[in-house]
Amino acid sequence: MKRRDFITRTAIAGGALTLGLSCKRKIESSEPVEKNSTAALPYSGGKTITEPERKIPVFAETDVLVIGGGPAGAAAAIAASRAGAETYLVERYNHLGGLWTGGLVLPLLSTHAVDKNNRRKQVIFGIGGEMSDRLKKLGMSIFEINPVIDPEAGKYVLDEMIMESGVKMIYHTWASNVIMDGKTIRGVILENKSGRMAILAKVVIDCTGDGDIFNLAGENYDMMNYHIGLVHRLGNIDHIKPGIITDPKPDLGGETPIRGVNWVNMHGDNDQNGTDIITLSKLQMKYRKEIWESVQKIKSTPGYEDVFLLDTASQLGVRMSRILDGEYRLTLEDSMTYKNFKDVIGISGAWTTMMYKGKAVKAENRPLWQIPYRSLLPKKTENLLAAGRCFCFEKELVEDTRIIGTCLVTGHGAGAAAALAVKENKRVRDIDTGRLKELLVSQGAWLG
Amino acid sequence: MKIVLKSETVRIASTLAAFFMALPLGLKGLTGIFVWTSPFIMLNSIIILKSFVVLNLLGTAVLLVVIFKNRFFCRYMCPAGFCCDKISGISRTKVSIHKKMPAVGSWLALISLAAAFAGIPLLILLDPLAIFHGTFSILSGDLSFVTILSLSGFPLLLAVNYIFPDIWCSRICPLGGLQDLLTDIRRRTSRLIRRKPQESDPYSPARRFFLASGLGLISGFVLPKLISPSRSQYIRPPASVEPATFNTLCIRCGNCIKSCPTNIITNHTDYSDLTSWMTPEINFGDGYCLETCNLCSSVCPTGSITHFSPDAKKIIFMGSAVVNYKECLLAHNKECDRCMAACKYNAVKIVPASRLLLMTPEIDQKKCVGCGACAVICPTSAINMIPPLAV
Repeated sequence: MKRRDFITRTAIAGGALTLGLSCKRKIESSEPVEKNSTAALPYSGGKTITEPERKIPVFAETDVLVIGGGPAGAAAAIAASRAGAETYLVERYNHLGGLWTGGLVLPLLSTHAVDKNNRRKQVIFGIGGEMSDRLKKLGMSIFEINPVIDPEAGKYVLDEMIMESGVKMIYHTWASNVIMDGKTIRGVILENKSGRMAILAKVVIDCTGDGDIFNLAGENYDMMNYHIGLVHRLGNIDHIKPGIITDPKPDLGGETPIRGVNWVNMHGDNDQNGTDIITLSKLQMKYRKEIWESVQKIKSTPGYEDVFLLDTASQLGVRMSRILDGEYRLTLEDSMTYKNFKDVIGISGAWTTMMYKGKAVKAENRPLWQIPYRSLLPKKTENLLAAGRCFCFEKELVEDTRIIGTCLVTGHGAGAAAALAVKENKRVRDIDTGRLKELLVSQGAWLG
Repeated sequence: MKIVLKSETVRIASTLAAFFMALPLGLKGLTGIFVWTSPFIMLNSIIILKSFVVLNLLGTAVLLVVIFKNRFFCRYMCPAGFCCDKISGISRTKVSIHKKMPAVGSWLALISLAAAFAGIPLLILLDPLAIFHGTFSILSGDLSFVTILSLSGFPLLLAVNYIFPDIWCSRICPLGGLQDLLTDIRRRTSRLIRRKPQESDPYSPARRFFLASGLGLISGFVLPKLISPSRSQYIRPPASVEPATFNTLCIRCGNCIKSCPTNIITNHTDYSDLTSWMTPEINFGDGYCLETCNLCSSVCPTGSITHFSPDAKKIIFMGSAVVNYKECLLAHNKECDRCMAACKYNAVKIVPASRLLLMTPEIDQKKCVGCGACAVICPTSAINMIPPLAV
C-alpha cells in the first residue's frame, strides 16, 4: 500500500467514524422527551381534588437512586458510584450534609467507642471518615473525638466528593411518590422547578431521614415523636469585652472551627411530630422568634454588644420520626454486648450515657457496636434500602442511631450494597454479605 | 429400705447449704433463705410487726419441731453451731472458768421476746444465723475496714469458742436458749395436764419467767426512749419500716445487700448514730432500684423491708430526685434527655426553662419514687437523690 493511499483511507475512515458518532449523538439528543402534560387540575367541588391521569416524563434510568442528601445519602451515593454503579442523588435543599451542615448540628458524634480490649478508639472510617479527614485537612474541624465542623466547609467537601465520584446530583428537588412494580420499587416521582419527573432505578435508597420513601412504598414503621429544635450560630464571640462578669452569664453555645463563631444547640419541645406540616411551620416561627429575642438579650448585656445572630439553620432539627420495620431490629443489648453480625456493614460508637440492665454506662466506657445489613432492609419492598436515622432499631438505642456518625455508616453500607446488587444483578435482599463486606473494606470501611 | 442419716452428715449438709446461700451468688429469692429457719428471729419479727409472711412458715415449722425435739435445730441445722463445735473440738486450751458460768441463753431469749412486745427486739442480733450470714455480706456491697471489722461476728464467735470451748451453744446462744425454754414449757405443761408432780428444780421457773420477761418489758419500754431516733436520714431499701423500728429489727444479715441485682445496697456506717450501724443503705453507684425488682423485700427475714410485689413499686417512695440545674447540660444548650429517658415512672419531663431557648428537667415529685435512675444516668451528675423527710 502506498503511503498516499494509506493516508487517504485513514482520513476517510476517520471522517466516517466522526460522522457516525456525531450522527449517533444527534439521534440520542433528538429522542423525543415526553413534555409535562398540563399540570392544572380541575376543581369539581368538595374537600378533595382528583388528579386526572397524566403522563410523567422519565427523566433518567439509572442503577442507584438515592433520595436525600444528608450524611447518609451523600455517603450512600458516593459509595455506590465509586463501586461502579450509575448513581443519582436527589436533595431538596441547595446543599449536601442535611442536618450536619444546613441544620447546623455540627458535631460528628460517636466517632469513638471502647473495643474488646477496653481501649477507647476511633470506630468511624470509610466514606464518613474520609469526609471528616478532608475537613480536618482544611482546618475546618476541631476536636479529635466527636469533631465539630464548619457547615460551609462541610457543604463544599461533600460537593467535591460527589463530583469526584461521578454521582449525578439533582438539587432543589422533592421526592413525592414511588413507582412500584408489584412489591418491587422501580423508581421515584420527583417535583422541582422543571415540573414533575420520574427517575427509574434498579435500587432506591431512602435517606430522607423521615423514611418518606419506605412510607410511600407501604412499609410498616414505628413513629417516634421527639424533640424538635432549631440551631443557630452567633458571630463576633471574639469581640466580647473581657473582664465583665454578669449573672447569669449569657449562654453562647459551643465553639466552631471559625474564630468568633459559636453554634447554639436547641433542645426544643418534646413529643413533636416531625412529619406534620402544621407542627413544623409553627415551631419554625416560634423558634426563630425565640432565637431573635435571645440574641437581643445577649446583645443588651454589657460587653456583649457586638455579638450578632449569624444564621439560623436552614431546616428544623427533627431528631426522630419514622423508624422502619425492617428485617432485623437492632437492640440496645446488641450495642452493649459486642454483638457480632455476619452481615455487619459498619461500626458506630457512643457519645452519651446509656442505662443497661439497671446500670448507667458512661459514654467513655461504652462498647463499639456493629450494624447489620438486615436492619437496612425493609420487610416487604424489594430493591429498597433505608439508611440514616430511619433504619430499623429499637427506640432505646435512638440516641446512638439518630446522629451524624451512625448515619454516615449506614449510608456507606447501603450505597455499597446497592452497587453490589446492580453489579451482580440480584435483589438487594439476596446479595452475598461476604462480598458486601469485601467491597466495604476495599472502600475503607472498618468492620472490626 | 430405711435410709439412716447420721447426724454428722445432716449437719455438714445444712452447713454447706447455709454457706452457699449466704454467699452473694445471685441466687435471687434463695439468697440467705436459711436465716428464715431461725424461730428466734421469726418470733421477734412477728411480735414486732404483728404480721406474718409465707416464708415465716419455715421458722414456724422449725419452732414446732423443736418443741417436741429439744435442740433439734442445734443438732441438725445450725451452721454456726456446727462450726463452733468443730472449733471447740480442735481447741487445746485448758480454760475452764466458763464451765461454771450459768446457761443464760433462755434468759436472753425471754428478755428479747418480752422486749419485742414492748417494741424493741432487744437481742435479736445475737441470733447465730444473723451472725453467720452477716459475715458473708462482707463479700458484697461496699468494702471497707469498718465494714469488715463490724461484720466479723462469726470469726469472733469461732475465736471465742476456741479460747472457751463450747461456751456459745450451750450457754449463751439465745436460739438454743429458746429451744430449751420451749421444751421446758412443753414438759411442764404436759405434766400439768397429766397431773404429775413437778420435778424438783433448782431454779424456780415462775421466778425466772417473771424476772426475765419483766426485765425485757422494762427495757423494751425504756430503751427506745433512751436511743434517740436517727436524726440524719438516709435512703433505705424500698418499703423499709420506719427508721427506729428498722434499726432495732434489722439483724444485719446482709441478705438484701447480697440479693440486690444492681448492687446499690451497702452498709450504713454513720458514727453519729450507732443504732443504724451496718443497716442497709442505698448508695447509687452506677445502678438504680429496678422497677421490676422486689428481691430485697422478699429475702428480708425480719420484715424490716416489708414484702411487696413488683407492681407496687410505683407507690413505694424511697426518696426523691433533685436537679442542680447549674450542672445540667440543658442549661448550657447541650444535647441531653437522659434523665427523662431513664425514668420508668414518667416523673421527669423536659420543659422550657425560665431563660429563653433553654429547657430544664422537671421532676414530678408525686410520681418520683426515688429509684435513682435519673441520678445515675446523668452525664454531669446534676441530679441528686435525697432521703424522704422524717415523719
